[in-house]
Amino acid sequence: MTLACPWYECDSRLIAAHQQPATLIELCLSRGIDSHRLLRGTGLFIEDVPNADTLISPTQFLTLIDNAQRLLGADDSSFLFGQRLLPGHHGAASQALALANNLQQALELLGELRALLSPLLSPRLLLDEQHAYVYWLDSCGAGSQARFLLEANMTAVVAMSRRLGGEHLPWQCHFRQAPPRYIEQYWVNLGEDLHFNRPYNLLRLPRECLTRAWPQTVQSTAQVACQQARQQLHDLGAEASLLDTLQRWLFRHVREAPNLDHAAAAFAMSPATMKRKLHKHGTSYQEQHDQIRMLVALYLYQVKGYSNDEVASHLRFHDATNFRRSFKRWTGLAPSALLAVLRG
Amino acid sequence: MSNLLHHHRLKLTALFLAANLGLLLHLAAGDLKAMAEWVWLDVVGEGGSALLALVWLGLILKSRPAGRVTNLLAIGLSCVFFSWWIDLLDEFIRLPDSVVWDHWLESGPMPVGLLFLTYGIYHWHHEQLAISQQMEKRERLSREHRLFDKLTPLGGADYLRRQLQLSVQHSAQAQQPLSLVVVDINNFDGINQRYGHDEGDRVLQAMTQLLLLNVRQQDLLCRLAGDRFVVLLPATGETLANQFAGELAEAVRHLAHKSRQHGERIQLSATVATVMALQETPDSLLQRLNLALAKAKRPLALSA
Repeated sequence: MTLACPWYECDSRLIAAHQQPATLIELCLSRGIDSHRLLRGTGLFIEDVPNADTLISPTQFLTLIDNAQRLLGADDSSFLFGQRLLPGHHGAASQALALANNLQQALELLGELRALLSPLLSPRLLLDEQHAYVYWLDSCGAGSQARFLLEANMTAVVAMSRRLGGEHLPWQCHFRQAPPRYIEQYWVNLGEDLHFNRPYNLLRLPRECLTRAWPQTVQSTAQVACQQARQQLHDLGAEASLLDTLQRWLFRHVREAPNLDHAAAAFAMSPATMKRKLHKHGTSYQEQHDQIRMLVALYLYQVKGYSNDEVASHLRFHDATNFRRSFKRWTGLAPSALLAVLRG
Repeated sequence: MSNLLHHHRLKLTALFLAANLGLLLHLAAGDLKAMAEWVWLDVVGEGGSALLALVWLGLILKSRPAGRVTNLLAIGLSCVFFSWWIDLLDEFIRLPDSVVWDHWLESGPMPVGLLFLTYGIYHWHHEQLAISQQMEKRERLSREHRLFDKLTPLGGADYLRRQLQLSVQHSAQAQQPLSLVVVDINNFDGINQRYGHDEGDRVLQAMTQLLLLNVRQQDLLCRLAGDRFVVLLPATGETLANQFAGELAEAVRHLAHKSRQHGERIQLSATVATVMALQETPDSLLQRLNLALAKAKRPLALSA
């Protein structure tokens, strides 16, 4: 079960078939979908799904999602899946979530146990003085399934906070995409505070909502569940995917403007291998680097209140003009224009 | 496919035997033509027609519940197929001039089949009228099966948008008000959690029936998304719409839905809101309706 390297890739078999995949399979079967057609091309057999040892790779899971989406043929599939995801029935990790003290603890656990709870899309929690932000980055090359995964994961977090906290929280949702045709699904599952055409996919919440005590905590049981979940994560041998690990490394080293060679050296592989691995995940070093630099720039602007020059020098651009040009390439808008949109 | 064979075993066996019998009779009475004598245009034309008749028969049997109308259509199409089949055999087998029964086999079943088919289609028409009556309050004027909701027997959000487009125009021309009511089940997620998602689905189906009983004949009920339903009320002002909305909420509160597993009552309640349509697009109208609902939900944010 242990993987050779400290991260998992899109073809590493580490997702327990009886957890998230089974949730999706059950949803499809309850809608009368034929199991053979659902599992076609996934390399998974229906009789193996309830087996605790059956592990599938992110690519297999993505194929399953693709099949499910096509066969269900409905706008609400991702949301129905998301409602069933958290805290879910994923063993100790789910139990630890369900017994968390408050939302902040639950979100921190979700981040820590992401390889178990959200293996395809890695969630991150960011706090500033007023707000908490939860955002997601693609961790296995989701391709055309990216939107399905995002809808499902956002729905899952919103539904979990309502379920465990017993109240509707004033979530604000930001999406990179334009408003979808089926906006009513967003209203019903995510609320009314929706913002499209943004530079990131995130949920925002006033910070005081994070620390309101949840009613169902059982301290000792929660601790045991956490320990068990951490042990499972340890047994898995990988805490995060390759893309996720790279993204975190880029966040840490963003001030040094690292290039592919630096990254490859840090990951103990040749630049060619790095390039090939990223290509396998449908992305490139440039794309990952740009994505992180854009997020850091927006963080510096919005949270730290930096000026153009300060952001440019933080990200090691020669001058502000150069930076503005790059920023426009990342987001489609110049910094001032984008910030006006975000404030508006 | 196996279902099709199972239900219509007799009909299909009879057709198969008849087609074989025709073939055997031809083989017994005549001799095979050489390949050079085949007229390809006739082979393709007559063979293709026979094949199409068979496809129609398959589609009819597969898509319709068994019954009188289905039987009439099946007999009609079987006769048509048989006629074309015998016609096709002529192309490969030469019968001596003394044989006359082949004309009867070829031309006899066709008019009989067409008569059956016509009679069947006539009854199909009546059947459709009856079904349309049952679809009342769930569709207005136009049907598009691709826009049907997959869970409840209602139109989905896209069907509603199309109908809104038409209704907004129509009400502007007729100078009549048009109102919308939205009905949203409170704490539906809680029902899913407590009783399971299958029970949640059954609650939605029960709600559909309940709401249909409580709207007028000219109204249209659609499922917007999840546990949210919308009623389109033509020629209805805001006061009346508010009254209807209150009645729907009352009806939901009094619905004594029982869970399938243990038969206990699931206490249901719903939040309702109304808007009156102005000259606007369906999207902005639905947006306003949604905001009105959010406002109505706020006081009970804790329980919803």
